[in-house]
Amino acid sequence: MAGRRALKAVLIDLSGTLHIEDTAVPGAQDALNRLRQASVAVRFVTNTTKENKRNLLERLQKLNFELQEKEIFTSLSAARSLLEQKQHRPLLLVEDSALEDFTGIDTSEPNAVVIGLAPDHFNYQTLNKAFRMVLDGAPLIAIHKARYYKRKDGLALGPGPFVTGLEYATDCKATVVGKPEESFFTQALSGLGCSPSEAVMIGDDARDDVGGAQNAGMLGILVRTGKYRDGDEKKIDPPPYLTCNSFPDAVEHILQNLL
Amino acid sequence: MADSSWPGCAKSLKGVILDLCGVLYDSGEGDGVAIPGSIEAVKRLKESDLQLRFCTNETQATREKFVAKLQRLGFDISVCEVFPPAPAAISVLKERGLRPHLLVHDGLLQEFEAVEKTNPNCVIIADAAENFSYQNLNEAFRVLIGLEKPILFSLGQGRYYKETDGLKLDVGVYMKALEYACDLKAEVIGKPSPTFFQSVLSDMGLKPHEALMIGDDLVNDVGGAQCCGMKGVQVRTGKYRPSDERHPTVIADATVDNLAHAVEVILSQRGLEA
Repeated sequence: MAGRRALKAVLIDLSGTLHIEDTAVPGAQDALNRLRQASVAVRFVTNTTKENKRNLLERLQKLNFELQEKEIFTSLSAARSLLEQKQHRPLLLVEDSALEDFTGIDTSEPNAVVIGLAPDHFNYQTLNKAFRMVLDGAPLIAIHKARYYKRKDGLALGPGPFVTGLEYATDCKATVVGKPEESFFTQALSGLGCSPSEAVMIGDDARDDVGGAQNAGMLGILVRTGKYRDGDEKKIDPPPYLTCNSFPDAVEHILQNLL
Repeated sequence: MADSSWPGCAKSLKGVILDLCGVLYDSGEGDGVAIPGSIEAVKRLKESDLQLRFCTNETQATREKFVAKLQRLGFDISVCEVFPPAPAAISVLKERGLRPHLLVHDGLLQEFEAVEKTNPNCVIIADAAENFSYQNLNEAFRVLIGLEKPILFSLGQGRYYKETDGLKLDVGVYMKALEYACDLKAEVIGKPSPTFFQSVLSDMGLKPHEALMIGDDLVNDVGGAQCCGMKGVQVRTGKYRPSDERHPTVIADATVDNLAHAVEVILSQRGLEA
């Protein structure tokens, strides 16, 4: 590929790409190990808002994936950075388990709203509270804006619909810190000594994983697992660099063509 | 030459259409509270030679129930004068052979009793308030995402309304949420849909330029009415916010303090001072 430098980093989505709930994608563990034998850096990037880094690490290790906590970069990490930078005191609409990643942040007399995936908090009363705060000037920070995700019992609404609703209600734009924001991808690569043009992203969400990564200058590989639905590859422009069946196929392609 | 702007335009009017919530009364605990001067204002309009109708996006109760509530508050108002979205929605369902999954306030369910709801092929959302739980929204989402041709009807598209204890999120917020989740566009039944306003005008036998709408929602009451060719006046009660007077696209024909003041101006223009 003219103008493209050799691959130095691979960003890998978690839920829907390496595993679905508590089941690993067949062959994914071996594929990851083969990838590590090549000289590329690996980062596990996710918009999961319910789970803190420790939970994610434990779940993946239980499924026999080899990785370290420092290789994980989540949208919660990105949100925390923003809060610290701007010195906001947040109303945290995130699952209890995610709160661990915000330890040390002052939440008294909140002057900002942070909205993640929190079914228990997305009731009428709490959303009204958040709405009134934003209407009165509090910044609205969205961990990410995923439309939906795949649960064992079917598809379920992500935080995106609720963020969009609040934006409409208040006529304000949320600051989104997770995929597909360009800042998320560039932050994920920081410390690896490579630019986006030397990286590839593998994920099951055409818009958030592949579209976002390609917009940041990376290559994007769409896998047909997780939340993938027929025809998703036609929904982004430019289309994915590659669409393949699952993570092991993506790794095969990388090993044979991009190194 | 006929005066085409406020207040002179009141001289050539033949009918007035009033919004309910935020103009006649503020909803909240129990029956809510009548807005000062509104009961008298409605009475004065009825005694005048102007035709009067009420056009509302009220969907927390059946028409019969909320008209009874307004009567208890002291308003001279009857069911046949009131145009809410639910009956219009039921006509649409019949016309198009649709069976709805409902995400509505418990108080509205009765309106849909006779409607076939098994094996739904569309979703209807209205001002469901407390029923807007994650679970209920998820159910509605799953119906839509499972349909080959998903159809979402939203009874109104308001952003928020005022209750006695503060501003509350309206159906439009959840409409946008489901539109985003399913990548579709909802069909709005109720204000500001032109079809909806037209049905009221037809009932009055009037052309748009012969009627004036008074409401507290700049975009859905005033803007919607103006799009149909009617005049639109905003009141500073209900959900009104000062920023409404600096709106980038909708400019009310007039902004008045409340319904009583609007009626005072209209009637004095027509030489009908009390």
